[in-house]
Amino acid sequence: MRLFLLDDHEIVRRGFADLLGSVPDIEVVGEAATVAQALARIPACRPDVAVLDARLPDGSGIDVCREIRSRDPEVRCLILTSYDDDEALFAAVMAGASGYLLKQVRSSSLTEAIRAVAAGQSLLDPSVTGKLLERLRQPPQPDSRVSGLTEREREILDLIADGLSNREIGQRLFLAEKTVKNYVSSLLAKLNLQRRTQAAVLAAEIRRDRPTPV
Amino acid sequence: MSELVDRANRIAQTQRTLELLMEANRAILAELSPEAVLRRIVVAARELVGARYAALGVLAADGSLEQFIHDGFDGQHVCAVGDLPRGEGLLGVLVADPRPLRLERMSEHPLSTGTPPGHPAMESFLGVPIEVRGEVYGNLYLTERAAGGAFTDDDETTLLALAATAGIAIENARLYETARRRERWAEAAAEVSSSLLDPGLGGEPVGLIADTVLRLTSADVVSVVVPTGHATFRVLLARGRRAPELEDLEYDAKATIAGLALSTGRGVRVARLEEQPRFTVHVQRVLDVGAALALPLHGSLGSHGVLVVARERGRAPFDETDLELSESFAAQAAIALELAAARADQQRLAVLEDRERIARDLHDHVIQRLFASGLTLEGVAGSSEPATAARLGPVVDDLDLAIQQIRTLIFRLQTSGAARSVRSVVIEAAQEVAPVLGTEPDVTFEGPVDTVADPDLVDDVAAVAREALTNVVRHAGARHVRVSVTAGAGALAVVVADDGRGLGPDARRSGLRNLEERARRHGGGCTLVGLPGGGAELRWSVPL
Repeated sequence: MRLFLLDDHEIVRRGFADLLGSVPDIEVVGEAATVAQALARIPACRPDVAVLDARLPDGSGIDVCREIRSRDPEVRCLILTSYDDDEALFAAVMAGASGYLLKQVRSSSLTEAIRAVAAGQSLLDPSVTGKLLERLRQPPQPDSRVSGLTEREREILDLIADGLSNREIGQRLFLAEKTVKNYVSSLLAKLNLQRRTQAAVLAAEIRRDRPTPV
Repeated sequence: MSELVDRANRIAQTQRTLELLMEANRAILAELSPEAVLRRIVVAARELVGARYAALGVLAADGSLEQFIHDGFDGQHVCAVGDLPRGEGLLGVLVADPRPLRLERMSEHPLSTGTPPGHPAMESFLGVPIEVRGEVYGNLYLTERAAGGAFTDDDETTLLALAATAGIAIENARLYETARRRERWAEAAAEVSSSLLDPGLGGEPVGLIADTVLRLTSADVVSVVVPTGHATFRVLLARGRRAPELEDLEYDAKATIAGLALSTGRGVRVARLEEQPRFTVHVQRVLDVGAALALPLHGSLGSHGVLVVARERGRAPFDETDLELSESFAAQAAIALELAAARADQQRLAVLEDRERIARDLHDHVIQRLFASGLTLEGVAGSSEPATAARLGPVVDDLDLAIQQIRTLIFRLQTSGAARSVRSVVIEAAQEVAPVLGTEPDVTFEGPVDTVADPDLVDDVAAVAREALTNVVRHAGARHVRVSVTAGAGALAVVVADDGRGLGPDARRSGLRNLEERARRHGGGCTLVGLPGGGAELRWSVPL
């Protein structure tokens, strides 16, 4: 069974090589550290399974997975991530991968997982995937702290968090600076805040709490 | 001959008067406080010209007498008359027409209203105006010439000379006093700014501002009010008399001087509140207010509230300088407050960024290394003798556990805890029992726990984690507790394991009933078993 490995951490690639060195039926046929390298090398290596790190310096494993599978649907992909399962699951579903692996040696017995995927199985639990898709279909619920704001006010709050001035926000949204100022006072009043910087802090906190797609 | 002697006497007399006048000038000009200057002038006038009674009336803006300083009256007379003159009758003549006025008999002047009962008898009268910077400041009055008869031309000349000195002395004293006040306010503004911006000092910034204003305006009470957004003001804090009764008071902003100050962005001064029926001050609820100031805390970003300063009725009103200086102090303080607040916000943002960076480092470096080492060990184990492999197994498990714990830590660093998810509620429950337990329970998650749990289930998981951990704290006497939440194989399971006394009497069972009920609602179950090495494990699980 031919395996391709994409991970920007050299020590991780070496670890995989060490692990698979004692596994006779799996052969590492190629490695890459970036999206660009992976897209150039995978078609040439023709692996059965590609293990793709989700976050890379020049892009994401999700894009690599989509691209590779559109060219050759025979290549099975596994998304590799050191974040949590929820994020990994999201990434795998979005990428159209056969499953995901957490960077955790025992969690899902790496070699077992690779063999299963090579045999054409999916590691994704259909009921869990279903729940995820169901959730994705629902419109995103705004954070409860800003649920009292109108859509426009939330949009402006977001731009305040980006450090834009009223004038810049006006230019971005095609609004008069005075109109933006009114929106800002209104959203500050609704959030019971006195200052713009407080709004920026709140928006920053909300961004952190929001589950971010990989 | 007698004429010569008479003239020589007069020259000597004039010289003596000049010497006395110069002495009086020196004494008056040496004084710096306005009160002392006025007193000196009155005493010098009486002694210099030679009169039984002397007085100085200071004009108020409306032409009445604001102050009346007198000399030569004994206490008995002062008590008997009671109120001081207000500038009507004869005294008003000089106010209306500020030129020297000399009378042989006061009672014969057409405008004389006579003296009130208890007032000593007075006949001869000499009055001259005192001018300060070309404006009439007040009048100097003498009555009852000591040598008898009417006041002479010489007396008038002498008194006019003294009045000129008095004008200069009063002007000096005023300038000095104003300069001192400016200096005090400027010092206070610098002090407030530096302590607001010194992160080490902490304290209550707005309280410091209120304290300073209370001290420098010699007010009875100062309160800081903020608009609530519902056309009302709320008293943020108060300092001075009856202050605790004012704090947190909420009142209608309409027709208040604070409302006026906020809408105009300018300070408001009320000399006598009873003369301003259109406006009220909330302080009136606890104190009989006479004079008041309302100073907007108006910085570069708008108004942050209003300082309301009040003196009790009967005390002197605040003057223009009080308003000018306190208003500019309030504006400086508002900017200092803004700077301090902006800095606090920046610091919070910096903390968030710092956490983000730590989380990224843990992810980019620590987890990768642990994972790679685990892979290598697993590889070595795979090609080793079974005995060696058996010894490597637990090491790999430990590495995995460390990775899981770091992942939980990253989650905690990256969230503020306001969003509710399985991860956040379980971590919160663990943090809550940490102080009682002595250590924080180890918390790990496996599988997409947040994807599978809807809000209803999140609430149950939160309750389960909290109850299970509280039970451990109450009954188990445990030192270490592990909480693991697993989503997989069609179920969501919460497992709480401790190293305490194990299953004791029924006490722990009773706490279980509630958990069982919560599991049953989702078609699941709950078990509590003793562990072989001591301790117990609670397993709560529901099908997905």
